[in-house]
Amino acid sequence: MSDKQKELLRNLVPVFTLLILVLGIAAYEPRFLRPANLITVTADTMTLFLMASGATFVIMLGSIDLSIQAVASMTSCILAAMLPMFGGTALLVALAAGGLAGVLSGLVVNNFRIPSFVATLAIGGIMTSVAFWASNERSIYISDNDKSAWLDWATGTTAGIDNEVIVGILVLAALTAILSLTRFGRLVRAVGSQEQAVVASGINVNRIKFLAFVISGLMAGLAGIVMAARLGSGSPTLASEFLLPAIACIIVGGTAITGGVGSIWKTFVGALIIAVVRIGMTFVGVTVFAQQIVFGLVLVLAVAMTIDRTKVSVVK
Amino acid sequence: MRKPRIPARLSRPTKNVLAFDTVESINWRALAPIGVFFLLCVVIAIFSPNFLSVSNAIRILNASAIPVVLVMGATFVILMGSIDLSVEGIVALCAVVTASLVLNDTFASDLGLWAIPFAVLAGGIIGGINGSTHVYLKVPSFMVTLGIGFVCLGIATAALGGFPVRISDRGFRALTLGRTLGLPNGIWVAAAAVAVAMIVQERTRLGRYVYAIGTDETTARQSGVPIERTRVLVFVLAGLFSGLAGAMAAAQLGQGHALIASGRLFTTITAVVVGGTALSGGVGSVLNSVVGVLIVIVLTNGMVLMGVPPFVQQGVQGFLIIVAVTLALDRRQLLVVK
Repeated sequence: MSDKQKELLRNLVPVFTLLILVLGIAAYEPRFLRPANLITVTADTMTLFLMASGATFVIMLGSIDLSIQAVASMTSCILAAMLPMFGGTALLVALAAGGLAGVLSGLVVNNFRIPSFVATLAIGGIMTSVAFWASNERSIYISDNDKSAWLDWATGTTAGIDNEVIVGILVLAALTAILSLTRFGRLVRAVGSQEQAVVASGINVNRIKFLAFVISGLMAGLAGIVMAARLGSGSPTLASEFLLPAIACIIVGGTAITGGVGSIWKTFVGALIIAVVRIGMTFVGVTVFAQQIVFGLVLVLAVAMTIDRTKVSVVK
Repeated sequence: MRKPRIPARLSRPTKNVLAFDTVESINWRALAPIGVFFLLCVVIAIFSPNFLSVSNAIRILNASAIPVVLVMGATFVILMGSIDLSVEGIVALCAVVTASLVLNDTFASDLGLWAIPFAVLAGGIIGGINGSTHVYLKVPSFMVTLGIGFVCLGIATAALGGFPVRISDRGFRALTLGRTLGLPNGIWVAAAAVAVAMIVQERTRLGRYVYAIGTDETTARQSGVPIERTRVLVFVLAGLFSGLAGAMAAAQLGQGHALIASGRLFTTITAVVVGGTALSGGVGSVLNSVVGVLIVIVLTNGMVLMGVPPFVQQGVQGFLIIVAVTLALDRRQLLVVK
């Protein structure tokens, strides 16, 4: 098999997995295939996709961001706390706070030379503290007035399609454009493939990494905002359950944690796979509690299958 | 033909941070954790006189017991340059196992103290799964342990349908609540764990191999160190300690449930790195981590005494991790940081 065929195969496996899963559920329950239902399922998946979309950049560098769930929870708290007094400004502040978390992660990884999994674990802890502080240690209700005034772009519908889907597709388009059309996007792949070669060609690798972490923080922040809008409240533990599925959907989509290989649409497909697997498990009768077991195993297996072992001589 | 062995003298841990042979070679940076500990005590004592009392000292030691047991395993993993993120999962699952085996309100069993070996064994098995997946499927440890940790939490939740198991065996709860020679039993258990870890580190081949792998895995392999077996064994060891910590947590809180260990991972990693064990591997020791735990617990205790809201602690620990890792890293080795 030539490299091109292998590449094609690797791209198609997640898509076919998704199709098979969808058809499997449709065999159980034909109504699953109704357009309205498919849109609802996609809408439910979008917060997960938003969280994972930015982190895809970081994983493509060969790093990881373990702070996304903490960042999303934090922005949900900031949004819910500020919305009654400041209106739309709260959206910007919450998004900026997400970006700031990314800035901190990027600075810590670059300037202190701390491996990203520890750096982002630590930053995640700090963000959790900020979330508890911003929310006064409770969950904050968002009033219906504020919701319809400021959060309709996330929760309403346009031409029969849930706005979450539209937001998700816009993000998908924007991040795909960044990844495939800009110099930064090409360099993300290059750093993930062979970092030393990129350093040797005189490119500022730190700036690439910094930007990737900022994008990850911004997208996690956006995910927190959409999540708060959907649930009508912000809380310091709102997104705690989302780290595992978010990382899982990046990997299941076919982005390798060794870096270099991946794309945003793969994460999109991965998020849908995770959502469909979850629905499938409910159909088959797996309890909600046991789903974490399945996701944990899926994560480890998917990593084992997608990892590029030629790149790492010593696995730590 | 016999496999080449590392000569015992040569493979003594040379980078044991707290050990120094001669007066000239005192490594001041290596003693920094102890200095930080005393400085911290002085500062807190100035702000809050209640800090310097026997009862508060015992309170601090008691609060350190479970974290100390946890860092005993985590230190070896980190000394190899790997990491174990499954601490919370294993502790929670083993706490549930323990609570289900002693006299309790959910299952008909009454093993008493004999539940502890089962909890420790369960931890060791999960550690073995961590280690073998990491080594034989060649998956980075942080990914394996993240996944397996969630699997354990899932099992702990699913097995009980989301409810806790309450322990009604008072004799078993004496494991942490009772006192011997005036000190809570948990402290004695932790001291025994430190002794075991010290023996493994100083007196066994496994301990020396861990330093060899952490310092330079390629060289260690060429010198005949059984890398795969050592890595699996270290994860088993970490699992055993986490299992023991699970039993202790169950005894302390009188129940077993999936959330019993939340926050433990953070404390464990903070303590190990604050104690001066480098994440890049090869540098540090279990004694360093004991000092690290004391620093973290004293800081927590001091913040409580000074009236700092409890939710700030996670942020402070996150900050500590960054500072400690930054100070401990040998940056010359690190061309590429992922």
